[in-house]
Amino acid sequence: MASLLKRRAPCPGSVERRRGRAAYVFLIPWLLGLGLVTAVPLGASLYLAFTDYNILGTPSFTGLDNFERMIGDERFWAASSVTARYVFISVPLQLMFALLLAVMLDRGLRGLPFYRGAFYLPSLLGASVAIVILWREIFGHNGLVNDVLAFVGIEGQSWLQNPSTALSTLIVLNVWTFGSPMVIFLAGLRQIPEEYYEAAKVDGASRIQQFWHITVPMLTPIIFFNLILQTIGSFQTFTQAHVISGGTGGPVDSTLFYTLYVYQQGFRAFDMGYASALAWVLLLVIGAVTALHFILSKFWVFYGDD
Amino acid sequence: MKNFNRRSFLALTGMGALGATGLMAGCGSGSSGATLRYAWWGNTVRQQNYTRALEEFQEAHPEITVDPEFAEYGAFQERMTTQMAARNVADIFWIASSQVMTYEANGLYRRLDDIPTLDLSDYSDDDIASFSFDGELLTMPHGVFAPVTRFNETFLEEDGVELPGEGWTWDELSEFLIDYAADNPNGRRGASYTPDQDMALEAWLRQRGQDLWTEDGSTGFDAEALGDWFEWWRVLLDEGAVLSLGEQEGMQPDFSAVGDSILLNFGSSNHIIDEAAMFPDYKYRLRSVPVGEGAADGHRFLYFPRLAIYSGIDDDRVEAAGQLVNYNVNNSDFLRTVGLTMGAPPNPRLLQEAYEFASEDEVEMLGVVEAVREEERRPRYEAPPGTGTWREALSRASEGIALGNAGVSETAESLIAEIQSGIDQGA
Repeated sequence: MASLLKRRAPCPGSVERRRGRAAYVFLIPWLLGLGLVTAVPLGASLYLAFTDYNILGTPSFTGLDNFERMIGDERFWAASSVTARYVFISVPLQLMFALLLAVMLDRGLRGLPFYRGAFYLPSLLGASVAIVILWREIFGHNGLVNDVLAFVGIEGQSWLQNPSTALSTLIVLNVWTFGSPMVIFLAGLRQIPEEYYEAAKVDGASRIQQFWHITVPMLTPIIFFNLILQTIGSFQTFTQAHVISGGTGGPVDSTLFYTLYVYQQGFRAFDMGYASALAWVLLLVIGAVTALHFILSKFWVFYGDD
Repeated sequence: MKNFNRRSFLALTGMGALGATGLMAGCGSGSSGATLRYAWWGNTVRQQNYTRALEEFQEAHPEITVDPEFAEYGAFQERMTTQMAARNVADIFWIASSQVMTYEANGLYRRLDDIPTLDLSDYSDDDIASFSFDGELLTMPHGVFAPVTRFNETFLEEDGVELPGEGWTWDELSEFLIDYAADNPNGRRGASYTPDQDMALEAWLRQRGQDLWTEDGSTGFDAEALGDWFEWWRVLLDEGAVLSLGEQEGMQPDFSAVGDSILLNFGSSNHIIDEAAMFPDYKYRLRSVPVGEGAADGHRFLYFPRLAIYSGIDDDRVEAAGQLVNYNVNNSDFLRTVGLTMGAPPNPRLLQEAYEFASEDEVEMLGVVEAVREEERRPRYEAPPGTGTWREALSRASEGIALGNAGVSETAESLIAEIQSGIDQGA
């Protein structure tokens, strides 16, 4: 009997091992996806970054040549400049706009679900080809914006064909897709205890003071989360510039986003080695900017347990 | 059901896999027939016409199945790039002009003159030699274009003006366009701003005794000739004779958007067919591009869009592919179905037959091509490897001049340097 009980008693270690194996079986689809769709291409592109590869032939190892070539490549610097301006202008603007609207919607408006849906819609559509084409029509020479300006006696221009305004137009398009961070802000606002505001009111704090001294500090983890997401997404902007400029990055490279330049090098010039090197530089820059955000977050992000 | 254990399941699965493998083998190039992939580009009308023509081919050759692979021009090139990387190119494919020699250098073409089902008897030895690279027939032209100016005859009549005479020069055209834009009562411009129209630029260069590309695969023109070309356009732009970049919404304007505000434009002779159809109320005519004084002998030229058979095709499908290429380039039924949007037929017999069913615009196009074909022409060379983006660079340079970002000489020099750098990279 004693031996029977001994046999039946499950060994805690083996149960955990079995569960662990089962978990890995369920994870196989994801692991396969990660390996075949992400890790293998990532590794291949890292190798190609150090080669001269024109897609049709075989890659030949060239060391750091592709990276050295970037230093003297004017279009690389143009693309970097366009992307940096886009990221550092559009992301803060978009987050400010999203926060402002989230605070307004959080005040218990009638028909809140409708407004929330309506404001969220551009986030779903913003990067779609159809919306970008619509944007091109709105800001074109004979577009809606110029019609409205003409109505008030102002002569318009082709906003997308003027190098001084083309990028700004794309920034406006990005800011317009504020719905996604706005919904996250709304969720964050609901987590702030009402007692804080009540205590502040008792102390005579105005609405603006409440916003700056309660809402913003309590929302900093959410702001940080949105900042990271939107920054990474903005560095990777492609569709808008591709459709607006017909894939050229024009006029005169004023909308030559970094990813568009990578695409031009890889798929138009067949210079896949250089395109891979460019892609890795972008990955490293995004990694560095994200790391910087995390380092700086220690000074301005307040978690509940701080 | 009780007896359906793991062993039964595995046996059943194995039998299923065997069956599927057998079925898939049957779908391939068995003795009963061949399946071919045919890739081309264009607009919706061309997609429909070619799909119908491929169906007619299959009715005439029931042993051959054709899988059509159509895309818009830009998407076609992207797909080709991906397919080339995967070594999975369509069996028969059209070739974008800037990629002809790039593909050749990388062995993408299968030789054509040893395929018994491809009949070359309609072509002269000179024709075959001009289609070949280093004596090997690797691609087959399926159209012929000439550089032209297309003008709106209705506008000329409405505005009561006449173009300079047939032997017009670039200077005469420039003066005419400036006067027309200044004086016409309907506020029309002379032309769209298109210094990046590659065939017009090539005509300009050849008249000066230069070439776009040399036989040994380099740029065949100097900064002075290119700078003069940019200057010719800059004057027109400054004088308001052509549309501004804003008015035409960037380089390479959409003709459907600007066609009713310009008198003429530069282009390939075949464009009249699709673009005249956008404005059925207007009558369009073609005329050869102007000729500079003292133009070099043999400056006229024709461009041949090409198709090829993929070098990776299985040997047992080569004859079927030859039949389809033969149907494409030598059969008048095919031509009647697809129309003449790809220009005049390169086959001299088909060219004459085409007049029987050609529309008024198509007859105009055929006449222009035939006239150039009869003239003496010095050799023309295809774009060398590494020039896949030269037209984008030309557009960017033209854009920069229009926006006053740089002078014409400086732009011409930097453009040539950029193109040459691409060639060096692609070598």
